[in-house]
Amino acid sequence: MNVALDARRLKAAEEFRAAGVPHRRMEAWKYSDLRPLIDAEQVASAPAAQWSIEAEGVELFDPAAGEGAFAGIMGEASLAFATATLGLRVKAAGRVRIAFATPGQARLRIVLDDGARLDYVESAPGGGLQNIGTEIVLGRGARMTHARLAQRAGGARIGDVSVTVAEGGCYRLHCADFGSDLSRLELDIKLRGIGAQAHLSGTSVLAQGLHADVTTHVDHAAGDTCSTQLFKLVAADKARAVYQGRITVRQGADGSDSRQTAKGLLLAERAEIDLKPELEIFADEVKCAHGAAVGDLDADSLFYLRSRGIADDEARALLIRAFLAEPLDEVEDEAMRAALWAAIEDALPGAMGQP
Amino acid sequence: MAAVETREKVSALAEKYKYGFVTDIEMERAPKGLSEDTVRYISAKKGEPDWMLAWRLSAFRRWVEMREPNWARVHYPKIDYQDAYYYAAPKNTPAKQSLDEVDPKLLETYNKLGIPLSEQMLLAGVAVDAVFDSVSVATTFKAKLNEAGVIFCPISEAIRDHPDLVRKYLGTVVPVTDNFFSTLNSAVFSDGTFVFVPKGVRCPMELSTYFRINASETGQFERTLIIADEGSYVSYLEGCTAPKRDENQLHAAVVELVALDGAEIKYSTVQNWYPGDEEGKGGIYNFVTKRGDCRGRDSKISWTQVETGSAITWKYPSCILRGDNSVGEFYSIAIANHYQQADTGTKMIHLGRNTRSRIVSKGISAGRAQNTYRGLVSVHPKAANARNHTQCDSLLIGKQCGAHTVPYIESRNPSARIEHEATTSKIAEDQLFYCLQRGINPEEAVALIVNGFCKEVLQQLPMEFAVEAQKLVGISLEGSVG
Repeated sequence: MNVALDARRLKAAEEFRAAGVPHRRMEAWKYSDLRPLIDAEQVASAPAAQWSIEAEGVELFDPAAGEGAFAGIMGEASLAFATATLGLRVKAAGRVRIAFATPGQARLRIVLDDGARLDYVESAPGGGLQNIGTEIVLGRGARMTHARLAQRAGGARIGDVSVTVAEGGCYRLHCADFGSDLSRLELDIKLRGIGAQAHLSGTSVLAQGLHADVTTHVDHAAGDTCSTQLFKLVAADKARAVYQGRITVRQGADGSDSRQTAKGLLLAERAEIDLKPELEIFADEVKCAHGAAVGDLDADSLFYLRSRGIADDEARALLIRAFLAEPLDEVEDEAMRAALWAAIEDALPGAMGQP
Repeated sequence: MAAVETREKVSALAEKYKYGFVTDIEMERAPKGLSEDTVRYISAKKGEPDWMLAWRLSAFRRWVEMREPNWARVHYPKIDYQDAYYYAAPKNTPAKQSLDEVDPKLLETYNKLGIPLSEQMLLAGVAVDAVFDSVSVATTFKAKLNEAGVIFCPISEAIRDHPDLVRKYLGTVVPVTDNFFSTLNSAVFSDGTFVFVPKGVRCPMELSTYFRINASETGQFERTLIIADEGSYVSYLEGCTAPKRDENQLHAAVVELVALDGAEIKYSTVQNWYPGDEEGKGGIYNFVTKRGDCRGRDSKISWTQVETGSAITWKYPSCILRGDNSVGEFYSIAIANHYQQADTGTKMIHLGRNTRSRIVSKGISAGRAQNTYRGLVSVHPKAANARNHTQCDSLLIGKQCGAHTVPYIESRNPSARIEHEATTSKIAEDQLFYCLQRGINPEEAVALIVNGFCKEVLQQLPMEFAVEAQKLVGISLEGSVG
C-alpha cells in the first residue's frame, strides 16, 4: 500500500513542480496570486503544521492509504510535501475540534462509515504559509457538518478540501474567513451516490487590504442529488473578496437540483469583489439556478434608519449584520453560530474602515 | 399561431439547410497557404497604400508568434493554417458603377438567399453591402446614403477613398494584437464594410451586409468598422451563409464599432453559416472578435445576435463603456443542435461614470451540442453608479447535450450595482403537453415554446429580420425531438 502511496506522492510532487506556485494567469487562481508571497521551494520545504485536537467518538489512524483526491494544485502539494498527517475515522457519532496552531503544511483524511455522523470544527489562524489538505469520505447515509473559521491573519493560508459523498450522505459546510494577505479555501465535492447532498454557506468579512477566496466545485455525478450554496462577502478599502463556484451536472444525473447564490458588499472606493458562479450541465432533467450580485448598502434602508435617529456607523453596522445573517442561519449548532457572530462583531469595525 | 404558420413555411423547404448550394463562378485565388507574400498579394490586389501593407505585415509578424487560444469550451482538430486559401474573389470584379455590372450569377445567388440586393427592393428600405468570399460585390443605395452624408462602402474602398478616417479608427477598438484570430484577420482581411455616420445624422435606412462563403478551402476574414459621430444613429445588420461541404472552413472576422458623444449604434447579426451535417461533419469555424467602444458621453451600443449556424462559434461581442452615462446592451440567442459547439457571450467593461449595461442571453442546446455562455462584467474604480443586469437562461432539449454558464463579475466601485441571474432547465412538460393536447405536433410545439423562450431577444431585432430569425429558430431545431 505504501508503494502505491509513494507513487501517488511522487506524481503529486511532479504535478506541483510542473505547475509551480499558482498565479493569476492560471484560470482557477485568476483572482488569487500566490506568487508574490511564496515560491515553490518554500512550499516544498514548509514545516509540519502543528495542531491541538479534541476528539470524541473517532479513531485516529495513519492516513497512509487514500485516494489522494484533492481539489487543486495546493492540495497536491500537501500530499507531496506534508510530513504532518492525520487520519480520523468515525464509525457511529463523532465530534472533533481542531485548531492549527502554527503555520506549515498538513494532510488530513477523514472517513465516515455508513450511517456515521461527525461534527467537525476547524480553526485555521494562518500566519506565514499554511497549507492544509483535507480528504473527506462520507459513506452511505453519513452526515458531516464542517465549520471552518479562518481568523484574520497575515501570510498565505490555503485550505484544500476534497469531499466524496455516497448514496444518501450529506455534507454541510460553513466557512467564515476574515482574510489574510492571501486566504483561499478550495473545495471539490463529488456527489457520487443517489440522493447525496451538499449544503455550503459562508461569509468573508475583510478589513483593509485583506484577501479571501472561496472556490467551490460541486459535481453532481448521480441522480437526485442536491446542492445549495449561499455566500456573502464584505470588503473594506483595498480588500479583495472572491467567490468562484462551479456546479457540474453529469450526463445521467437526472433529478439533480442545485442552487447557488453569491452576494458581495463593497464598503469602500478601492475594495474589490470578484464573483464567478459557473454552471456546467450535461443532463436535461435538472433544476439549476444561480444568482450573483454586487453593490453597496442600500441607500433607502440607510436613510430609513438615519431618519429614525440611528447614527450612521450604527445604521451601517446594522445593515451589514442583516446582510450576513442569512448564511449564518444555515449553521444549526447554536454555540457555533454564537461563536461565528462574535467573530463577525470583532471584524466589523475593521471592515467598516474604523481603526 | 404565427409560429405555426412559420413552421408550415419552413416545412415546405425541401432542405434543412437551404443555403447549402454552391454558385459555380470563376474564382481568382491567392496561392494556398499563409506567408508574408500572401499578405502582400492581398494588399496588392486591393491596391492598398503602403501604410496599410505595413499595418498588415506587422500584424502578420505578431501572429506568427501567437498561440491559438484554448480556454473556450470548444473542441476541434488542429487547424492547418497553411492548408487554406486566404483570398478568393469572383473574377471580373473591377469597380462597378451599378448593379447591372455585377455578374448575374452572383445576383442570382443573392436572390436565392433572399437578400434585398437590387434596387427593386427599395421598398424594403435596406441598404446592402454583400461580401462574397473575400470581396465586396455590391453596395446598394449609395446615392441615397450619400445625400445624408453617410459613408457605407466596402472597407477596401474606404481605405482608398477615406484613408484619414480609416487610419484614425482602424484597430483602435480591437488592437492588432488583441487575440490570435483578430491578429490573423488584421494580416489577411480582404474586405468588409465601412460605415461612417456624420454628426447629428440619423441614418435614413437600415444598413446591412450579407456575407457568403462560396469557394472551397477558403477562409473568410472580413473586417467591419462602423463609426457613429456625435449625436448620430445607425442600425446595422449582418447575415451570413455558406454552402454545405464536408470540410471545415474558417471564418475569422473583426468588427469594430465607435460611438462618439450621444451616438447610438445598433448592431444585429443573424448568423447562419453552414453548421455541419447531422453527424457533425463539415461546417464553419466561426472565430469572431466584435467589440464596440462607447467613446463619447451618453453614447449607446446595442448588440443583438441570433446564432444558429456554424460548427463552432467563438464570439464575444463586447462594449467598452468609456464615456460617462454610456449604455451597452447584449441580446443573444444561441442555438446549437446535432454536433454544434457554441461558446459565446459578451464583455461589459464599465469605465465611465453612470454607465449601464444589460445582458440577456438565451442558449438552446439540442442533439449532442454544447452551448456555453461566457461573459464578463467588469466595473472599474472610476465607474461610479454603474449598473448591470444579466439574465442568462439555458434550455436543454435531449439527454446528450450540454448547457454551460460562465459569468465573471468583477466590481471595484462600491456605488456600482451588478446583478446576475441564470437558470438551466428543459422544456416544461406541462407546456409541451398543453400544445400537444391542442393538436400541435411535437416539432411545432418545440419551435413555438422556444420562440417564446427567446422572445425578449427576438423583439430587439429590426422587424424585417425578426421574422427571418423566428423561422431560423424552428429550422435549427429540426430533428431535435422525437
